[in-house]
Amino acid sequence: MASTACFIIVSKNDIPIYEAEVGSAAKKEDAAHQHQFILHAALDIVQDLAWTTSAMFLKAVDRFNDLVVSVYVTAGHTRLMLLHDSHNEDGIKSFFQEVHELYVKILLNPLYLPGSRITSSHFDTKVRALARKYL
Amino acid sequence: MADPSASYLGNTLIEEISPVVMVLRTPLVEDSCRKNGLSFVDALRPFSLFNDIDVPVRTASDQPYRLHKFKLRLHYASEIRQPDLEVSKEHLKKVVTQASDVDTSDLRSDPPQIDSLLKAAESESLSSWFQIFNKELIHIASFSEHEALDHPVACLLVVSSKDEKPINKFVELFDTNQLPSLLNDSVMDPKILKHYLLLHDNQDGTLEKASNILAEMRSTFGSNECRLLTINSAEDGSTDWQDNPWIPHKIDASISQHLGCLLNMDDINEMKNFMQDLASKQIIPHMEQKIRVLNQQVSATRKGFRNQIKNLWWRKGKDDAPETSSGQMYAFNSIESQMRVLGDYAFMLRDYELALSNYRLLSTDYKLDKAWKRYAGVQEMMGLAFFMLDQSKKDVEYCMENALSTYLKLGSSGQQNVTRCGLWWTEILKARDQYKEAAGVYFRISNEGPSLQAAVMLEQASYCYLLSNPPMLRKYGFHLVLAGNRYYISEQRKHAIRAYRSAISVYKGNAWSFINDHVHYHIGKWYSFIEIFDVALQHLLEVVACTHQSVATQELFLRDFLQTVQKLGKAFEVFRMQLPVINIPSLKVLFEDQRTYGSVGAVNIKESLWKCLEEDMIPLLPAARTNWLESQSKLPKKSKDSNICVAGEQIRVEIEFRNPLKIPISVSGASLICQLSAEPESVESEVVNQADNNVDGNSSATVFQNDSELIKLKRNWEQNAGSSFVLSEVDFSLGGSETTVIQFAVTPKVEGILNIVGVRWKLSDSVIGYHSFDSTLLKKKTVKGRRRGGQNAQSPLKFTVIKSLPKLECCIHHLPSKAYAGELHRLVLELKNRSKFPVKNMRMKISDPRFLNAGSLDDMKIEFPICLEKQINSQDSIMQPNVVQGSNGLLFSFPEILGDQLLGDCVIGETTFTWPLWLHTSTTGRISLYMSIYYEMENSSNDIRYRTLRTQYDLEVLPSLDMSVQVAPCPSRLQEFLVRMDVTNRSSSESFLLHQFSSVGYDWEISSLPPDGTTHPFQMLTAGQALSCFFKLKKCNNLETEGMPSSTTLRGSDVRLGPRDSDKALFDISRAPLANFHSYERLDQGKSIQGSSSVDFILISQQKQNASAASDPPRLFSHHSCHHRQESEATICKIVRRDRAVVIDFVDVSYDLIVMKFVSCNIINHNKSIRTTEPASILDNLTKKVKQIIEKGVHHGVAPGDLIVIHGIESGVFVGVEICFPLGVASSPRSSLSGIAEASTNIHISIYSKSSNPQPLQLHVYSPTTTYFSNLSNSYKMALAEQRVLLAREQTDGKGGCSGLDTSKDTNCLNNLRKQTWNPHITSSRSNFPRIHKQENSTT
Repeated sequence: MASTACFIIVSKNDIPIYEAEVGSAAKKEDAAHQHQFILHAALDIVQDLAWTTSAMFLKAVDRFNDLVVSVYVTAGHTRLMLLHDSHNEDGIKSFFQEVHELYVKILLNPLYLPGSRITSSHFDTKVRALARKYL
Repeated sequence: MADPSASYLGNTLIEEISPVVMVLRTPLVEDSCRKNGLSFVDALRPFSLFNDIDVPVRTASDQPYRLHKFKLRLHYASEIRQPDLEVSKEHLKKVVTQASDVDTSDLRSDPPQIDSLLKAAESESLSSWFQIFNKELIHIASFSEHEALDHPVACLLVVSSKDEKPINKFVELFDTNQLPSLLNDSVMDPKILKHYLLLHDNQDGTLEKASNILAEMRSTFGSNECRLLTINSAEDGSTDWQDNPWIPHKIDASISQHLGCLLNMDDINEMKNFMQDLASKQIIPHMEQKIRVLNQQVSATRKGFRNQIKNLWWRKGKDDAPETSSGQMYAFNSIESQMRVLGDYAFMLRDYELALSNYRLLSTDYKLDKAWKRYAGVQEMMGLAFFMLDQSKKDVEYCMENALSTYLKLGSSGQQNVTRCGLWWTEILKARDQYKEAAGVYFRISNEGPSLQAAVMLEQASYCYLLSNPPMLRKYGFHLVLAGNRYYISEQRKHAIRAYRSAISVYKGNAWSFINDHVHYHIGKWYSFIEIFDVALQHLLEVVACTHQSVATQELFLRDFLQTVQKLGKAFEVFRMQLPVINIPSLKVLFEDQRTYGSVGAVNIKESLWKCLEEDMIPLLPAARTNWLESQSKLPKKSKDSNICVAGEQIRVEIEFRNPLKIPISVSGASLICQLSAEPESVESEVVNQADNNVDGNSSATVFQNDSELIKLKRNWEQNAGSSFVLSEVDFSLGGSETTVIQFAVTPKVEGILNIVGVRWKLSDSVIGYHSFDSTLLKKKTVKGRRRGGQNAQSPLKFTVIKSLPKLECCIHHLPSKAYAGELHRLVLELKNRSKFPVKNMRMKISDPRFLNAGSLDDMKIEFPICLEKQINSQDSIMQPNVVQGSNGLLFSFPEILGDQLLGDCVIGETTFTWPLWLHTSTTGRISLYMSIYYEMENSSNDIRYRTLRTQYDLEVLPSLDMSVQVAPCPSRLQEFLVRMDVTNRSSSESFLLHQFSSVGYDWEISSLPPDGTTHPFQMLTAGQALSCFFKLKKCNNLETEGMPSSTTLRGSDVRLGPRDSDKALFDISRAPLANFHSYERLDQGKSIQGSSSVDFILISQQKQNASAASDPPRLFSHHSCHHRQESEATICKIVRRDRAVVIDFVDVSYDLIVMKFVSCNIINHNKSIRTTEPASILDNLTKKVKQIIEKGVHHGVAPGDLIVIHGIESGVFVGVEICFPLGVASSPRSSLSGIAEASTNIHISIYSKSSNPQPLQLHVYSPTTTYFSNLSNSYKMALAEQRVLLAREQTDGKGGCSGLDTSKDTNCLNNLRKQTWNPHITSSRSNFPRIHKQENSTT
């Protein structure tokens, strides 16, 4: 598992709807905003890259020092973004695919308003389990 | 693409990569120049750039070309070395600080918007000091030994005309000891072009001496190399330059006022000419020549196929050469150095092709030699050459990337070069509109070098992102934040703030909370460092109420915020502060118009409930109007569209405050902001409208709107001081994430119109928060109807204050919050009227009279439990209050005259008025008691004629005793019943003492069983214990009670429970309040059936007192159980009565005859009817049966005395029989008769109402046995006055002696028999009987 990893789901309105620090490293107080900064800035790159390929998984799109941003763009232009420092591309791809499935399940919930924050604890535990499995 | 040399980079290259002229001068030269505030080099610098020369140049190729722009770099010999890092750092810092003063003057203004930033970026007006900074950075990397760019091309020797022996001075100046290391270390050719200049200061003397010296020089050094320069020709030293040529070259602009003050136009022209000549006539030709010479050498040794092969071969041999950081040393005469010089000279003279070819050759050489620094330098120059040649992007990028990465590999020694190379590259990319890539390069070089440099690089990167197409705003923001961070580290706070401020425009209004918090927090903090506290607080406010941060961060934010507020030194006022959060929809206004409230609970009760309760107490409003015209005029308009409140009475407002943080906060001095105007409403509304218009007009500028509202609120608040109303102040503290409802109060003192505008509070004693109540939000709520009294659609925060009215206050003393079921309490209602005006017509209504009842004043006279006891002279003469049973409770009118004065006079001022109330908690669970007191004003000139006082109390009732009573007819007596009372103590811990058991009813008399007075020696019932007691109930046929209603006065009889010697007085159940409660209990427990035969019971008990609570009065309990009836209401009661026990000795006699009596009794309580009862065939069928049974018994030879007892009780009514048979005599039908009962049959008797008729019965006994009469039956006819005859048959269970037989079977037999004996045509008559009976009554 990567020592640092931050997973975030960004709605098509560029609003983060789910955030999780999934790294095994000890949490630093200032890490949260730093990760947000990097991921937020990477959205600019994603914006360009997303339309150049038909693949959903965009691989590593941006980097900041030794942190890499991998992105998966769903058909609805929701972006699953992972900030990580390991280079396990296959694992990341599987991770994204499975999280995408979970996200679709969330979307199917009639009580979930698309674009709103995902508060399901079930989703959270599942994502964290997937992170342990693949990252 | 445009001409590369015309681009910014092209210009920069021409200026920066230009020949260096080493200047050697005597101190006197410098002195002369100092008079102008300039050094010699500085004085010449403006004229070292030639924009309009036209010099033909011919380098290696034979094609000449012309140079139009040229520059010489003048440096003192001491400057020709690698600059000291520390000094250059200081220098850079100065540049940045200066820029911060210029650039950040508008820190107080609003952060720039993105649009304006974009525009500014496009017009490239952004931060021109970047260019200065970049140039300084490039200068730091100059004079490196690994390249020949900065090697002096020429040497300018300057001697003043004042110097003694000027010729000697010239020679001394070029003393090798003082020359730069470049020349001494044989890195460059020491044979350098020399030019000799004689400087003449016109103030020191005439030109003559100088001319002489010049002549001497010319003879010594050659005519071409010598020049004379005169300066300081101006007379007065006050030459004022319109555009001073030195100013752009000076960094400290402050001392620029008298730069060159002694120089006149002639001097300047002379200097210009000198420089131009130096460049065009000396340096350029020298370089041309050198290029040609070097080119020939290089061609000879390196060009051509043969040389290349040789070179490769030869180089390989050097592989094992020691590797130093800068590669080997190359002497100036080595071919590599010469090639580098050739390349650089060619570059300077803009023969880029030649330069490039040389650089190419060199780069392979250096690569093979692993001279990485030199290799990188060459690659860098190649990249620049490619750019200037406008060749493919790829080549440029390849070269620059190579150079950069090689420099990076070198580590610290290559640091400055990394920066320079990166800057070149970014400029190349920028010139080609590849801003995104440029930003990447900026970011790469920002990682090297000190933080200040990094900050500037990052900021430039951010602008590149802004300029890229489409603009990458998020990257822009991110890099600005990074830059700001670095600025902060290098203590450039203003720059840091500037960077963050620009970043705000990107992050404004997005949902990335951590980013926003970070940016706002840091800006706020930095503003407070530079002591601009108001702006700092604006930003800190944004982060103070962050819910998502950790506890530590929240604490940090709050602490910094409060510290900043303290530093501000004055009260800081915030409009709509988010700490704590105010839940406006939760706002609740509690006020009292004609409805007043006595308790908090009463306020929250639905209005409809009160309305219902007060329905028949309050006079109907329409009744007050005589006709519709009058009503229109009478009701003032204001009372219709706003709430009414009374001067001097509180209006309370409840608002929910929520702490969004996880740390506790303290709020003090929270109070409402109100407005009380005595003027009529029109003015008020106008003001409001005006304000509304203002708001509408400025809806876009939210800041302004907030400000204006804040000012409005503040003004309102300041007007409060000493004004016409009193506000309450509340201090409270909220724990982490806590929500509390805070109640505010305002008390208007004069009449007028009161408007509650908002709320104001103080956070941690330093920050004052304001919040206005938005009326639109509240209106929405009014529509929903949750607000009390929501019938008016007007703002609930607007009140019409009318002049003060009397107001009653009430409280109930001794009301327990917890009670046990059945508990009886005397409560005292205390009424108080604080005003000076009397009230009248007081009435009270209680929601549930079953629980709460008004007593009479006499109840107060005696102590509580004793007042209920039976008194000898108990008369019902006490003054009963006027109690009317209302639809929803009890309406109770207080007497108008009390003793010798009016009630209104009693309830006034400080005196209180008390009235007893009785509480009886008859059911368990939670009980809510509602009470409303109505009263009218004496002086009813107001809008309000009456008021109501509403109180509500909650009570929890715990289970105590559980009583159930069963009544069964007494088997041995007519008109007598057995009563079984089961008592269970259901309480958890309490013990109860049973005290008294009473029957209620006008013709019932209860006595204990056995009839010796008291029943139970142990009267105490501990928790969980159950007890059964038996009583005898007798019906007394006293006719005088007949027809008396059973309502208020209860006749009853009591049995004292407990030890025999108990002398405790019995309680009087026939008086109020027990009687009252009993009647309600009766109502509650079921419909009272008209008729006399039901009976009610009351159990009175006391709580066993603990030793500790001995001083309290004993707690009394009464339990009521109503509507008990005996099993069936038969017309005829029958009993077989035997006078005495008969013992027959069968030894002596063979049979005996027992005489019994069969008594029939007409119990129908009807005088007029005369019944003819026909106890016909009394034992007719039965006898046979008995015979049968006895036959069976004997046959089986069962020993007499074996008895089985079956005893059945079903639902309180005796339905079973008691059969005693010998065992095991079940089945055989044949046997001899052992006993037979006989009776005379078909006797016709008439039994009048309430009379009885005994009939003799005879029983013959033949053998020792116990005989059982199971099924005595009789038929009777009823002769009514109308001659209607009804035939009915009743069964009677009689019991004589008992004979045992098999039980179950014979019971069945018995049942069969019973059926057989019934006459088919009257089988149904029994069940119909009551109905028929009724008909009969109605007909009579």
